[in-house]
Amino acid sequence: MKKLIFLSFAFLALYSCRKDEADVVDGPNLNDLFGDFTILTNIEPNITTVDFDAGQELFFSGELSKNTDWVISLIGNDTGARRALTGSDKNVSISNAEWDGGANTFPGFGIEDVSVEITFPDEAIAPTLNYTLTVTGLKQDEGVLITSFEDGIGSNWTSFNQSTVSGGIVCSDDEAAKGDCYYKVSGDVPWDWAKGSVMIRPDEGTFGLQGSASNLYFNMGFKAVENVGPTNSFILFWFDEDENGDGFFDENTEDRIAYEYWSQDTEWDLISLNYADLQFDELGNTIETNGNGLMEPSKLISINVFFLANPENGVSTGYVDHLIFTTDEPYTP
Amino acid sequence: MAVRLLLISLILASFQAVGQNEKFQINGSARAYVFSNELDIDEALDSVTTRKANYGHTLLDLGVSIFPNNKTEVIGMFRIRNELGGFWGGGTSFNVRQLTVKGVAGNLVKYEIGDIDLEMTPYTLYNFDEEGIVNEADAFKIRRDVVHYDLFYKGNSWRMQGAKTKFGLNFSKGIKGIDVTSFITRQRPALVDPERLYGGGTIKITQSDKLAIGFNSVSNFDITETIADSIRYRNGVHTMDVKYVIPASKKTKYIVKGESGISSVKYENYSDPLAPETISDWFYDVSVKGVNTEKGLSYELGYKDVGADFLSPGAQTKRVDYGKFPALYQQITNDVVGRSVNYTDVISGNAGNSIRISEELLAYNAAYNNTTPYGVATPNRRGVYLNLNRKDSVEFKKSFLRFGMFRQSRGTGTTLAKTFMLAEAGTDVHLNDFLKWKREFKVNAGIRYESTSRSGEEFEKVDLNSMLIDLGFSLEFAEKLDLLGGAKLWTVSGNTFINERNRFNAIDDFNIVSYDFSENTLAGGLRYRFNDKNVLTVQYQTFNLEDNVDQAIDYGMSQFTVLFNMKF
Repeated sequence: MKKLIFLSFAFLALYSCRKDEADVVDGPNLNDLFGDFTILTNIEPNITTVDFDAGQELFFSGELSKNTDWVISLIGNDTGARRALTGSDKNVSISNAEWDGGANTFPGFGIEDVSVEITFPDEAIAPTLNYTLTVTGLKQDEGVLITSFEDGIGSNWTSFNQSTVSGGIVCSDDEAAKGDCYYKVSGDVPWDWAKGSVMIRPDEGTFGLQGSASNLYFNMGFKAVENVGPTNSFILFWFDEDENGDGFFDENTEDRIAYEYWSQDTEWDLISLNYADLQFDELGNTIETNGNGLMEPSKLISINVFFLANPENGVSTGYVDHLIFTTDEPYTP
Repeated sequence: MAVRLLLISLILASFQAVGQNEKFQINGSARAYVFSNELDIDEALDSVTTRKANYGHTLLDLGVSIFPNNKTEVIGMFRIRNELGGFWGGGTSFNVRQLTVKGVAGNLVKYEIGDIDLEMTPYTLYNFDEEGIVNEADAFKIRRDVVHYDLFYKGNSWRMQGAKTKFGLNFSKGIKGIDVTSFITRQRPALVDPERLYGGGTIKITQSDKLAIGFNSVSNFDITETIADSIRYRNGVHTMDVKYVIPASKKTKYIVKGESGISSVKYENYSDPLAPETISDWFYDVSVKGVNTEKGLSYELGYKDVGADFLSPGAQTKRVDYGKFPALYQQITNDVVGRSVNYTDVISGNAGNSIRISEELLAYNAAYNNTTPYGVATPNRRGVYLNLNRKDSVEFKKSFLRFGMFRQSRGTGTTLAKTFMLAEAGTDVHLNDFLKWKREFKVNAGIRYESTSRSGEEFEKVDLNSMLIDLGFSLEFAEKLDLLGGAKLWTVSGNTFINERNRFNAIDDFNIVSYDFSENTLAGGLRYRFNDKNVLTVQYQTFNLEDNVDQAIDYGMSQFTVLFNMKF
């Protein structure tokens, strides 16, 4: 009898050792794979009028019956700016569906109404939810804004345009990538690739950027309108560093880093360049400069933006807008 | 205290047969095997596949045992195989089938080097039987034995290449004896992946005739720096087993036995983000067995719990990999669809069989076995089992009943667990004893019923039922000439979700399967027994699949075989 009792206790001890795995699931959730889709709680914005400039938060919340892909598409009614919030969690909340007022790329949102469409691409039978939001204040950019051409030509800027080219700031034609104004170069130059350029300099000294180049990004919007394509037109940047701190750039003794960006299509392109990577060419070789060869954004004294296009293709038109430096990550409009 | 050091086994059994002057022995086997296959499928479904496939071979396994001295044996077995129709050397192969050196070192340690057969406990190293065998007819067994012989499936052991040692200690007090077995084998050479070894051993302590305790350990591991990459896989399984005999009376005794242990798997320096760092889990399996020697009855009631992450490649590797296409008629229909392995492929040796242990849990067919697809050590199972056995009576022999009720300890794809019910029963009926015939007339009868279920929402429900009737007979109607018959009748219906695992054994998807089919394999033929070792059989085996699931393909296969098997 004693032996039986001992064995019973031994068995119970073993039985009680197994951890309770009632809430643990191996593999993907069958409900997500094969369960019926329903919207348990409607996915809705927390507010319909938002002032991002004042720090208001806008997010969507709701609950689905299963984890499935969802897409919240936001389109600016005036600017055509687009932003998509995506996820697959059945719980939609501020943690995965917050809109900061930004767009996926240029153009950015303006003070305007925004149409919202919520879809579920993997569900054969699912409703589409629609809302309209009103933006009364724009989001504040994080970074060092060089110019968005909203305040006109700077006191130290210089520009160049071929004799048959018109180049300058244009405002209020709803073409800007961000805000109301942008810089436009347009004309027919059958004898030369160069159309026009603008050299942007601060009113005094340097741009006041950080010393480290490795986590610094230069960003700019570029839109080729005529003479478009990766063999037809491009933007050429010159980043000039005042290495000796005398307030002037000497191209014979100081670093000028050049970079080309060829146009893709007639949409606004967001050009984002890691400043440290500018010292390498496309093959990864270090480019030769006339200065110390170090990438020193704190000594950046001017940025030249050239628009060049194939002279054989007639009129060439390009826009640039919103030059801004950001830290740690590329700019999001 | 004087400890007597004794040898557990001085010399291998074969040594004992060697005379003083006998320096070598020759043994082996010879075989001739001819197949004539025919595919039976609707012409409208398949007008492209060649219906008939005829082939065959003759082979000689010539084994030579050399005895350099009375404590050493060198075994070499060479296979000469000739495909029928391959004259003058065409289609002829010459291979080394076995090369082993074994003997006794210092009158103490028995050793084997080369090709060795290894088996430990059902949770450490155990080549568990393939599905579909309840109480199999001779008509099938004859052919299955050929497959097992070719693949070195001897009992439940795995054939490996390496070294094995064994020695024993006997004591005069306290402990009766200790047996120590150890081995190390090479699983693969370094190529794309690192070289892999598999080693382990057992220490069995026999306290008395009543109590014995064993410590078992196996390890499957990569050797670093055998390739440029630094990846390393390591799997260890460590168990302890106990057997305790309680005499209840002169004719009755109870045996309490059990095994418990842990497994751990480590994937080191893998760049694949899916690679887990460590997986570990444990199991136990305890039972009480009653034995009544007077009535020839034994009954065993047990409970086991094998963790969902318990991984033991040596005990969980399937003999048949259902993820591979069969060797015969690999693709059928006008759409050239890959044909799944059916049970006639398993019997005929056309299925993809394992020749070494696999770190990955191989694909299984839920219709054939959903409860224990990876043998006794199938992970994620807990529940009770009952085994009843009756020793031979005059008319009935090998009667048994096995029953198990299990459930998952961890849900797959849902928090709800699947439950499994498995029942098997069988017996050999010797009708000649009923009929008072001198010549043998034996009927094999076996049945297996399995049920899997899971409740819940419609999308997660599981309801799968399968039944196998395993029948056959052997009638000696003339001196040494037997008429053989056999049937394996599967009926399967319902649905389930089959786990699809990545290379790290994590479930990454589910294959939804619906079954509603009957699969019948019938065999009949003649067997002439020249003597116990020489047999000639002529058989006809037919297979038919009727699948009622939409888009499923009905087809059949037949095989005419002539098999001459001789051992010497």
